[in-house]
Amino acid sequence: MKFSDRIQKVDRRIIYVILLIAVVLPLVFRLGFKTYTTTPVENLYRHIDAIAGKDDMAILMDFTHDPGVLPELYPMDLAILRHCFERNIKVFTISFLPQGAAIIQMALSEVKEDYPNIEANVDYCNFGFKPWSTKLPIMLGMGDDIAEAVETNSEGLKLENLPIMQNMKNYDNIQVVVEISGSSMGQFWVIYARAKFGVDVAVGLTAVMAADVYPYLQSGQFVGSLGGLKGAAEYEQLVDIFAMNGLEFSKKKARDMEWVEAQYEELPELAQLYKYNKARIGMDAQAIVHVLIIFFIILGNIGYFLDRRAQKKSM
Amino acid sequence: MTETIGIWIAAFLTLCMFSFLYKDNPFYKFAEHLFVGVSMGYYIPYTYYNAFIPYAYNPLFLKKEYILIIPFIIGFLYWFRFSSKFSWVSRYPIAFGMGMVGMGVPMSMHATVLVQMRSMMLPLDNINIILIFVGTISILLYFFFSKAHEGVYGKFTSVGIWFMMVGFGASFGYTVMARISLLIGRIQFLLGDWLGLIK
Repeated sequence: MKFSDRIQKVDRRIIYVILLIAVVLPLVFRLGFKTYTTTPVENLYRHIDAIAGKDDMAILMDFTHDPGVLPELYPMDLAILRHCFERNIKVFTISFLPQGAAIIQMALSEVKEDYPNIEANVDYCNFGFKPWSTKLPIMLGMGDDIAEAVETNSEGLKLENLPIMQNMKNYDNIQVVVEISGSSMGQFWVIYARAKFGVDVAVGLTAVMAADVYPYLQSGQFVGSLGGLKGAAEYEQLVDIFAMNGLEFSKKKARDMEWVEAQYEELPELAQLYKYNKARIGMDAQAIVHVLIIFFIILGNIGYFLDRRAQKKSM
Repeated sequence: MTETIGIWIAAFLTLCMFSFLYKDNPFYKFAEHLFVGVSMGYYIPYTYYNAFIPYAYNPLFLKKEYILIIPFIIGFLYWFRFSSKFSWVSRYPIAFGMGMVGMGVPMSMHATVLVQMRSMMLPLDNINIILIFVGTISILLYFFFSKAHEGVYGKFTSVGIWFMMVGFGASFGYTVMARISLLIGRIQFLLGDWLGLIK
């Protein structure tokens, strides 16, 4: 078999093994590649951070995703919750999928174990699972009265009696709705909540969906977005270098890699936990695999052109 | 102890799924069928206790909110799908659902058409806006088939193809990233939670 044929007919199982090695090695021996933050992620961070310490403002996180997309979205869930708990930002959580309710519980309990002073129904409130068919009445109803539209939290307690709700009425008290999903659910929030009530909407999406949101970012209908594992890694970094060090966000500083590196050296132990670095460690493997895939594409094309040249010569 | 057992089961099932990469086999089939069964088994009782009980049974039978009988009956009509003779009855709740979709049309027009068009109509004072303008116009004209794509017009519409190719490339790149992220997630689980090699 000729060289050009051989490189075009490599057994797929060999490619799988090479890919596996390319993923495993960077995870075990950390490479520590730099993370460069981008505008959509910075905008979301700044938007959420703007209500730090305010009792009458909160963010609403919609966890309408299932375990199939956890590797990409769960680091986002943890990073945003950690940002909120670190900076004393009130959080509401909701899911219109049954599986999402379990993910909310998992994420809240995982972050809460590092923030023992954070109290349920005081600093955050989990609305829990609400059936898909109630999505529209809830989205529209929250524009008038959140407590009336959602009615109860995940434990079945009436919202109107909870301490966190004392200064919260409707979307005027919601800084941003952050839709974290592997679907176009974010557009529902834009169509029903933003178009009618003007509430700001942002999204955390699987990478497959990420390219679709750019028109909405350009028009300002999404105030920010996190695209896949890369977006999660960027948000993790912003939480580390600003929130964990008690600093206000600055775009100039976030882009100054020397300053960023210096901040990493002064991080508390909490920020160094594996669970809060998962996306950045994953991005090391991602970078190696991307280089490998580019190499395979180039190799395949070399084989194709060699083959074509040989065919032309033989004609 | 319970957590450890759970991790071992999850690791075994992950390896069963990965075994398909070599070739189809009984371990893969077992894990695949188990996944479907567990998903449905989880979904049905969860929906029953979190949707049917609080939104239908409790208000209707405990709080005596009899107005709910109307949506209850409309929803019940869906069950006629299982009868070949009376399946036409199930079209009524579907029609009701379509009416609900209609409610969203004006807001959808506003958010997905009008606001997006407005963001196109900006002064061409920076390179990004110019690129968006040229890209949108050339792609729209490419899909205008009442005029032959020839001459200067044809060349301009071929610019639209280039813009679309860049878009497809970006989507493909993101798709590769998404798929590799899923693999990374599973490997992180196997190496970290199961084998304890990464902490």
